[in-house]
Amino acid sequence: MSTPGFEEAQKELEQIVERLEHGRAPLDEALALWERGEQLYRVCRERLDSAQGRIEELAKRVEDSRPAR
Amino acid sequence: MKVEALTYGDRKVYSVGAFNRGVADWIARLPTIWIEGEVTELRRHAGWANVFFTLKDPADGACLPVSIPRGQFDALRLDLLDGERAHVYGRPELFAAKGDFKLRALTIERFGEGDHLAALERLKRKLAQEGLFAAARKRPLPFLPRKIGLVTGNDAAAKRDVITAVTTRFPAAQLVVAEAYVQGPRAAAAMVAALKDICVEQVDVVILARGGGSFDDLLPFSDERLVRAVAACPVPVVSAVGHEQDTPLCDLAADVRASTPTAAGRLVVPDLGELFVRLDAARAALERGARRALEREQARVDALHVRLRAAPLLLVERKRAALENATARLRVLSPSSTLARGYAIVRADDGIVRSSAELSPGAHVDVQLAEGGFGARVEETR
Repeated sequence: MSTPGFEEAQKELEQIVERLEHGRAPLDEALALWERGEQLYRVCRERLDSAQGRIEELAKRVEDSRPAR
Repeated sequence: MKVEALTYGDRKVYSVGAFNRGVADWIARLPTIWIEGEVTELRRHAGWANVFFTLKDPADGACLPVSIPRGQFDALRLDLLDGERAHVYGRPELFAAKGDFKLRALTIERFGEGDHLAALERLKRKLAQEGLFAAARKRPLPFLPRKIGLVTGNDAAAKRDVITAVTTRFPAAQLVVAEAYVQGPRAAAAMVAALKDICVEQVDVVILARGGGSFDDLLPFSDERLVRAVAACPVPVVSAVGHEQDTPLCDLAADVRASTPTAAGRLVVPDLGELFVRLDAARAALERGARRALEREQARVDALHVRLRAAPLLLVERKRAALENATARLRVLSPSSTLARGYAIVRADDGIVRSSAELSPGAHVDVQLAEGGFGARVEETR
């Protein structure tokens, strides 16, 4: 499975949660969906963590390069 | 008039009288014209046939002696004061007897500030009618000019004021200065030339600056040539002439009018410090925006995760409930509840007995009760 982008992953995760909450999926399928959902959640978290890291890094770089006035 | 010369060998020599008469004759052929100047050294004596005065050029001090017949002068009732400006209509004349050059005046008109203002007003109306001062012609000033042109007098305070104002606000600004006469009869033409020269330097804006001065000092800034040159300038012009209350015509033709040279300097460049503050604010807003977007997404993903975690358990619970339900229904349908009501199940070798025809006396049967059971023999059938 190729790693989906943040938006794709989030959208799929949403669909999975809705499907699970509907409660119509057979138990085996529900478990598979859950596993897939957890996987997608990790993808989303990783993307967000890396985004946050970039924001912090950028903010620090801006702070460092600010000329003394 | 024929001027006779004496001849000494091969040299022709004129008498003073003949020469003066000849020159006088030549000068007399010049046309009658209007001349403007300040009336000084006015001499009028009851016994004299003529009134004499000197017409002086206020710009460069050039002098012209003028005479006018006393009766004519008195009839004008001018009451001219020393230094008053006048227009004199007359023709040049050489008084042959004395070799005196004069303007013989035919009439004199006072040309005071009022007349001057009226002439300016006429010019203003004419130029306004041509649309030179129209608001639609005004161009916006560039936000940050690459080069700023400054047309001003040499070593004028106005020049210093503009440069100080510009460099204080924006130290890296590039200024090109074209110096020109800013008062006197040559000023208008000099400034027109300076304006043209400076535009060749590829400036993005031009400041025309001069400090305060008398009404006369500022007159070149209302000269038609300069006003037209300002209007025709290929880049926006900021006019900063005199003080707040002065409005020379070039102010009206300029794209922006500044009350003083310092104000003009402040108008053409942005304040660098202020720019930094705004830039910093924009940057901070950018970071806030990015952080907000991130937090929003984090919250959404976390909420989804909570739901995802809860969903399988819910699902199992729901399935368990369905199972319980089914079991309960199963129990209702099972025979044990029937037995509990006092019924019994009778089984023979062939299974459950539903009819007495399946049995004969002496046959062994097995009886199941709600609680326990027993074996029995059939005594009779009915």
